[in-house]
Order: sequence, then C-alpha cells, then structure tokens
Amino acid sequence: MTLAAPRPAPARAPRRRGPGRRAARVGRPRLTWALPGLLFFMLFAVVPMLYSLYLSFCGNWGGIGSAHLVGAVDWQRLVDDSTIRQATRLTIELTVLSWLFQTPIALLIGVWAAGRQRHRAVLSAVFFIPLVLSSTAISLLFKALLDPNFGLAHAIGPWIGFSDGNILGSPNGALAMLVFVGGWQFMPFHTLIYQGGARQVPQMLYQAAEIDGAGRVAQFFHITLPQLRHTITTSSVLMVVGSLTSFETVFLLTAGGPGSATTTLSFAMYQNAFADFNYGYASALGTGLVVLSTLLSLLMVRFTGFGSMRSAREGM
Amino acid sequence: MTTKSARRSPARPLGGRLARATLAFTLAAGLCLGAAACSSSSGAGGGSITVYTYGDGSTDIQQTAVNDFNKTSKVKVDLVVVQGSDYTPKLRAAMGSSAAPDVFFNWGGGSILPYVQAGQLVNLTADFSQAPLKGAFLPSIVAAGAVNGQDYGVPMRGMQPVILFYNKALFAQYGLQTPDTWSAMQAAISTFKAHGVIPFALGDSDNWPSLMWLEYLVDRIGGPSVFTGIQNGDTSGWSNPAMSTALGDIQSLIKEGAFGSTFTSTGYNDNAATTLLGTGKAAMQLMGSWDYSNQLTNHTAFAKNDEAFTTFPAVPGGVGNAADVVGNPANYWSINARTKNLSTAVAFVEYMAQASYEKALLAGGWITTNSDTASLLPSFPNPAFGEFQFQMVQKAPAFQLSWDQALPTTVGTPLDTEVGKFFAGQVSVSQFESDMASAQKSDSSS
Amino acid sequence: MRRVAIVTSTRMNTDPELSGRATRRRRPLRARLRRANPAAGLASLVWLLIVVVPVYVMVNASLMPQGEALGGKLLEPAAHATFANYQLVLRSGFFHLLLNNVIVTVATIAIVLVLCVPLAFAVVRARGARALLVFRVFLLGLAIPAPVIIVPLYVMVSKFGLYDSLWAIILPTAAFAMPVTLLVLVGTMRDISEELYESMAIEGASPARMLVSLVIPLSKGGISTVSVFAGLAAWNGLIFPLILTQSPQNQVLTTGLWNLSSEYGVDVPATLAALTLSAIPMLVLYLAARRALISGVMGVGGK
Repeated sequence: MTLAAPRPAPARAPRRRGPGRRAARVGRPRLTWALPGLLFFMLFAVVPMLYSLYLSFCGNWGGIGSAHLVGAVDWQRLVDDSTIRQATRLTIELTVLSWLFQTPIALLIGVWAAGRQRHRAVLSAVFFIPLVLSSTAISLLFKALLDPNFGLAHAIGPWIGFSDGNILGSPNGALAMLVFVGGWQFMPFHTLIYQGGARQVPQMLYQAAEIDGAGRVAQFFHITLPQLRHTITTSSVLMVVGSLTSFETVFLLTAGGPGSATTTLSFAMYQNAFADFNYGYASALGTGLVVLSTLLSLLMVRFTGFGSMRSAREGM
Repeated sequence: MTTKSARRSPARPLGGRLARATLAFTLAAGLCLGAAACSSSSGAGGGSITVYTYGDGSTDIQQTAVNDFNKTSKVKVDLVVVQGSDYTPKLRAAMGSSAAPDVFFNWGGGSILPYVQAGQLVNLTADFSQAPLKGAFLPSIVAAGAVNGQDYGVPMRGMQPVILFYNKALFAQYGLQTPDTWSAMQAAISTFKAHGVIPFALGDSDNWPSLMWLEYLVDRIGGPSVFTGIQNGDTSGWSNPAMSTALGDIQSLIKEGAFGSTFTSTGYNDNAATTLLGTGKAAMQLMGSWDYSNQLTNHTAFAKNDEAFTTFPAVPGGVGNAADVVGNPANYWSINARTKNLSTAVAFVEYMAQASYEKALLAGGWITTNSDTASLLPSFPNPAFGEFQFQMVQKAPAFQLSWDQALPTTVGTPLDTEVGKFFAGQVSVSQFESDMASAQKSDSSS
Repeated sequence: MRRVAIVTSTRMNTDPELSGRATRRRRPLRARLRRANPAAGLASLVWLLIVVVPVYVMVNASLMPQGEALGGKLLEPAAHATFANYQLVLRSGFFHLLLNNVIVTVATIAIVLVLCVPLAFAVVRARGARALLVFRVFLLGLAIPAPVIIVPLYVMVSKFGLYDSLWAIILPTAAFAMPVTLLVLVGTMRDISEELYESMAIEGASPARMLVSLVIPLSKGGISTVSVFAGLAAWNGLIFPLILTQSPQNQVLTTGLWNLSSEYGVDVPATLAALTLSAIPMLVLYLAARRALISGVMGVGGK
C-alpha cells in the first residue's frame, strides 16, 4: 500500500554523490540494531540445532551425566530402522491426506464467503469457534468424544463403518481422526486465507466472463483458481510444513497408537527422547527432520518470492 | 493502513492513542516479566523439600501423611503429584535439571538403576540398620528396593501382586466357576462374549496392563528363569520357546475376543478399564492389587459386594509354579543425593515406618509391607481379600517385578511400546522377539 | 480493492463493513439464482454442522453429572443440568492456570516486539548485503520446527537453571515466533514509501526518531498482526510447557488441561467443563476485537 508523501519532493535534492550521499546515509540505522534480536534468535533456535547435530553423534546418551562423542552409530541406526521408515510413510500420508481434505473445502467455502455478504455474521462466528479453542483443547475434546466406552464413538461409529465404536483403536480410524481433527482445527484459518485472496480478484474478470457466457464452474476454474495461485501456494505450504512437524494432536489424541499406527516422525522423536531416553537417537532423527523441513522452506522461499524484499504491491 | 495517518506530519512525535497504548502495554509487559521472574524454578533448598509421587487416583494417603509430617517439621514437604502416564519421563527430565525433586516415588529394581549408576541417590543402608527403619519392613520387600546389595528405597505403599479380579455376581448369574483354572477361564470368556459382556477389561492403550498378561503367561509356561535370564543380560531369552508360546497364546486370546474389541483405545490411567469392571460392562480384569483401592473409591458398592479375586490360572503343559506372582513388591521413596535438606528428607522417608501411616494404608485398601502387617490384617476393609493377598505374597516361590520396571527404562519403555504394537497386531511373534533383543542389545546401561 | 464504476447492477464493493450499509438494488430473480452456488452453500452447511455438533456436546455434556454421562447419552440435552463440574474445575486451580497463561502470552509478545521491530527496521533500512543475510537467516529459521530442537533446548534450559520456570516457556516461544514476525514486519515496513524516509532525513532525524515517529505509527497493522500471531502461539503452545516445566505452579492452560483431563479420567463432563472454561478468554477477546483478530490471522498468510 503506497502512501502519498505529505509534500512534494524538493526540486533540488537529487540523489548523487557527495553531500547527497551523506543525506541518504543519515537516518539509516546501523546493522547493530539487529544484533539483540539476532543474538536472541541464534541462542534459542540456531544453537540448539547445532547442539542437536552434536548430540546425534553421542550415541545412547540418556541425559544422566554428560554426553560424549561416540560416532555415527545413531545415524546408522536411523537408516536401518524400519520404525522410522514407517513413521516417514505415515507422516507423508498424513500430510497428503490433510491437504486433500482441507484445501478443496477451504477453497470452496472461502471463495463463496468472499462474495456472499448476507450470512457473513453467522459464517464468521461459526468458522471462528475452532480458532477460539486451543489445539490442546480440541484434541482433548475429540479424545473424550471418541472414547469407545464412554463417549460418542459408540453412537456414531456404526455410521462410518466402525460397528463397535473403536475408531481410535484401529489404525485407519486413528489416522482418519488425525486428519479430521486437524482439518476441524485449521479449516477456518485456511478458509480465511482463501477468503482474503478471493476478495482481491478483480470483479471485472467475472463480469467479462459472464458477458462471454461462461458458467459458474468455468469461471471458477478459469478465473478464480489462476488468480488464487499465490494464495493456494501460501496456504498449501503452511499446511504441509505444519503437518510435517505437527506434534500436539498426535500426542494428545492417539499417543502414536494404536501400537505405532500413528507414530509420525515428530512423535517418534518425542518418544525416543522423552520416553525411551535416547537423546542421541532422537537428535539424529530431529536433525534429519530439520534438513527435510529446510529443503521445503527453501522451496517455499524460491517459489513464492518471499526471499526478495519487494513490496507486495509490485507486480499487481 | 489508511491514508489518514500519513497525512499527519511524521515529524510530530507519538501522541494520543498510540502513546497511551504503548505505555499501557509496556506496564503490563513489565508486570508480567516481573511475575515470571518471581515464579522461577521450584526446587530443593530453603524451607521446603519437593517430593514427587505417581498420580493414579490413590494419592490421598500420601497427602495426609505429608500434612501430618508438616505439622511437626520445620522444613515443609511439598508433595507433587505427577500424572501416571507421564511419571517416568517427567522424573527423568527433572532429575537431569536443577529443579530435581528431593524425594521421589519409584519401583526399585531397574527404575532406579541409572540413577544409582550416576551416583544420584542417597545410600540408605546405614539408615536401615537403625531405628525406626530397622526391622520395620519385610526383608524381601526391602531387598527389592536395593541395588547391588545396597539399600536405596524405603517402602511407602503396599505390596502389589497382580490379581485376577472378577465380578462374582455376573459369574453367579451365568453359573460360571471361579476362573482359577485355564478351562474355567476359557468357559467364562466364551459365555460372556456370547452375552455381550466384555470378558476381560484391558487398558491396552497404556501398554503396561497388557504386559501383565505376557508376564504371567511366560512364568506359567516356562517358569521364572526365563525372564531372570533376560534381566541378567541374556538377550536370547527373548526367543525362548516359553516366550513364543506365551505370545501365541495372547494372539489366540485376542482372536477369541477375550478382551472385547475396543481394548486398543481403552486405557487404565484414565480409569476406563476400572470403570468397565466397576459398572458391570466387563466381567474380569487382570490388574495390580491397587485396583481394589480404585474400585473402593470410585465404585464402592461394587468393591464391597460384588468384587472377587483369584490367582492367574496355570497353563496346561506349562512348567511354572501356579503360585508364582508377578507385580510390584512395593513402591519406594528414594532420596536425591543433591538435596539441600538431607535430614528432613531422611526424616520424611522414615515416617513411612510409623504405625499411623501403616494403618492409613490398610484402611485405604493396601496390604502393607511392614513386618507386623499380618497382625493388622483384620482391620483391612475386606479382611478376606487382605488375607488372600497377604498369603499369596508370603507363599509365592517367586515374585517377579514388572518387566518394564525390572529392566532399565531405556529397555523397559520400548518394551511397553512393543507390547502395545503386538496387541494391536502390528508385529508378529518373531518380530517382537527380535525387536526386544535388539533394543536390549543397543542399550548401553544393561 | 478497486471499484469499477461502469456496471451498476452488481455490487462491486468488497469491503464487508460498507456493504451492509450501502443501498442494495434487488437483482432480478434469474440473476440471483445464477449467482447462487449450491455446492458451496451445501458444503458450508455441512461444515457448519461439523463444527457446531462437537461444541454443542462439549457444553451440553459439561452440565451433566458424571453418572448421566456414563450412560453414553451425550447428544441429548442434559436432564439434570448442574454446574458442579465447573465448580470442580475452578477449585482445581483453574484461575492460576489462566494467570500463568496471561503472563506467558504478554511477556512473549513484549519480547517479540521489542526485539523484532528494531530488527525489521534495520533489515529494511540498513545498507549492505549483510542486511539481506540477516533476513535470510531468519527465513531459514522458519524451517526449524519446535519439536525437533526440543531435546537440546531441554538440555540447555536445564544448564541455564531455567528448567521448570515460566521463562523456560517464554523465551523459546518468543524465539520461534521471530521468523514469521520478521517476515510480516519487513513486508509492512517495506511498504513505507522512500520519500517519507528522505523527508525525515532531510530534517535531520536520527534513526531512532525515524523509528519512533515514522515507522512504528505506519506499521501498526503489521505490529498488530504479529502481536496476534505471537500471542496465539504463546497462548496455545503445548510442547514447550510440556517438556520444560513440571510443577503445578508453573502449569499453563494447555498443560493444565491435559493434566486435568488425565486426572478426571472417564469423568468426561468434568473434562468438558475444563475445556469450555478454557475457551472463554479467547471467546471474550474474539468478541471484543474480532476485526483485529481476523485481520491478524489473515495478515499472516495474506501476503
């Protein structure tokens, strides 16, 4: 959003060398202003990452006493471990399923909500309820509701193919519930993103299409979707990176179970670290996750142009 | 951002609403930062000691004891109840930090081994050779809280053999016999299944209740030496024929519906399994004796009128003694060597030998491990049960500590997870055995 | 948001607040039907149900005595409604949890703003390639998810003597909120036109003065966005309190809820009462500052 200058630029202040350069320098902060923030961030985010790398070479350190470098034992184990391979597969499944579940619905409702004005109040109230509850509260709510003996699962289970209500106790059911609860929680967020994006689509395009005789469906596919490309990318990337590292829902709703049917990578990491006390192995796992996540993040930066500091207005 | 604020000359300093908002926020932030600073680390030192105990619904007795102790102690005791499903990780995390507890609850055996090896526990052998601890407790129980012959734990709860609880009203209703033989148990399973009652309540989602089944089956089939070998480091014990047979028996039990169909998402820590038994939805439960305490609190009528108990049956063709017991000999308090109030900590754990505490435990449904327990049994709420449990433990040729506590935590916790996977049908018998063998091999502390 | 003046038969105004007040021309029925989107409407209705039913059960069952809930009839309106569960929760130290949560949230927002506003300013205005480098470091930081570094963080926090204190929650949460904060603030500050800076520079303003008089007032939108984001992260965070704190007096809402639900076990109404209570502060905030909250959430993903 460009703001108009309060008064016209003086006629004799062109940018050039000499006194002009000093004028341009005055008022610019030195990079030392960035130092406190940078140091703080490095201390609590970057240093732990490096420490994690170090710990991954410390073998079976259990947190008692001090850690000693041992070698690439844990990395070896990581490569051979079938549990980790399963966890990776599960994490990818969860991510893809979450995207497939949330994106079409959020897109549909978001675009629709952008145009409709009449029921906005009701809509926004409803869509915001999940945002008002914390992730913890939502997971605990569904855990209570899905209890096979004392919750709703017994009543609604039969409708969705679980005659005994043992939804959370079956591998597919547990995974499906993770996808569902994640969707329940984040749908409003993504719907809002799409709503915001859809509002910025120039109405003129729709007008022109209507005049040309294009139907609603054609308009959606040929105008709305292409215009929302940037928004879809943002939302998808947030969804994917979030799913890859989501921990709370798995921890509270299924605890990785039944057995290890929903043990995702981040839960496996938690388990190795804080249940099995294998800090070395957990660190190896964690470092691997960071590499994966960094690659995705770099892709995101490349793909959407966040890395360049151009204003969002440019290119419009 | 509207154009309005841009029209205001940028040269004018902050005024009005923005300044007030900033000021208010800064004050609030300052207050909060101050509050955060004041709420820093709880931990040993100064006028109190921290005691961690396991949260499983029967901590009132310990709380009362702490209140009584605090009446006469200058240094106060702060009892922290850590929820059961998170106890071991929380304890470990706390012990590795500056906010470690002064005294903590444990199961003896492997559960304190890593701390002993790191020199983090106070050696209590000398204290056991003088009053009030000398001769106060049954020697076998004290021995279970020792490592390498040195005492590190003071018994603080009753003995906890794993017992087969059942609903005698339901059994009478269907004309079934006491399930203390394999055939009677099988008959009960099929009858209850046919009538829509869950034969055995099982809190499988917490994993350790399912481990009890494996423990008893292996003992009944192959005798106690199978696991003792494993405990001593012989990883080939995991592929012992008795282990394989026991695992196979579990698969059969699951297939015939002995645990119902919802066991993979039923827990014990949240009282689900206990409630199933207490409300008549399930007919039996294989569980530690502490469950009686639970039932007494939550389903008093059932506990007093309909609850009955027996031993785990012998398995046809097995060589184990049907009088062997698995479970927890007791729970113990151990003292953190880094405590700043050693005398208070010792005084607190010695309080466990007090007659008042012993009586409180008995009244709460625990069979205490004191030397004079036998004479106090009549005061137990259910004298028949008290007598039964006491004799069960006294006469047992072997009392095996729960495997996940006998082994060091770095093997014990993977064992729980593996058992959960086995019961959920995600690993086969041979996979279970090889997984456990490699888990034990790669553990450095065993 | 451009207005197109030519066509008069269709509402062009996309500003939601103005549309209600603008005069509406009734469009011909055929045109209205053509604009109707039955698929999306249906999807919204279905989703509405999916959102409302669990919340209804949560509130409804929280009013039931435990015995009634054990019967499994959670969908039917509570026959013997009682507030006993709420009393139980409030007696279990709920206000303390709330207080801790507020402390953590406000402190996190404070630290994030104090550190990031000058940081963003420096990144945007300072000369040289190093500014871009600093920015890139934070972008890479976006890739570091909290669960991954929790092990070394736990070790470090213990070594600093911060284990089991509210600081152990506040500091990492603030640090992890910084990448997105910086992203948004840099975007916001970048939008301030160069001429404004120059006119202040010509007046001889120091960087500090520019920050306070020019940048902060004009970045209000971005600052409120990041405050919302950091605040939500702190309010709802679980993993840091879970691993880095232990004692009851340092529990926040999330860990407190987990503890309570574990303690109440199958006493489902009590758990649901706790969950309902935990939603009230956010609900109040939402009702009071709906636009700020919504635009805050949209602002994070919108650009």
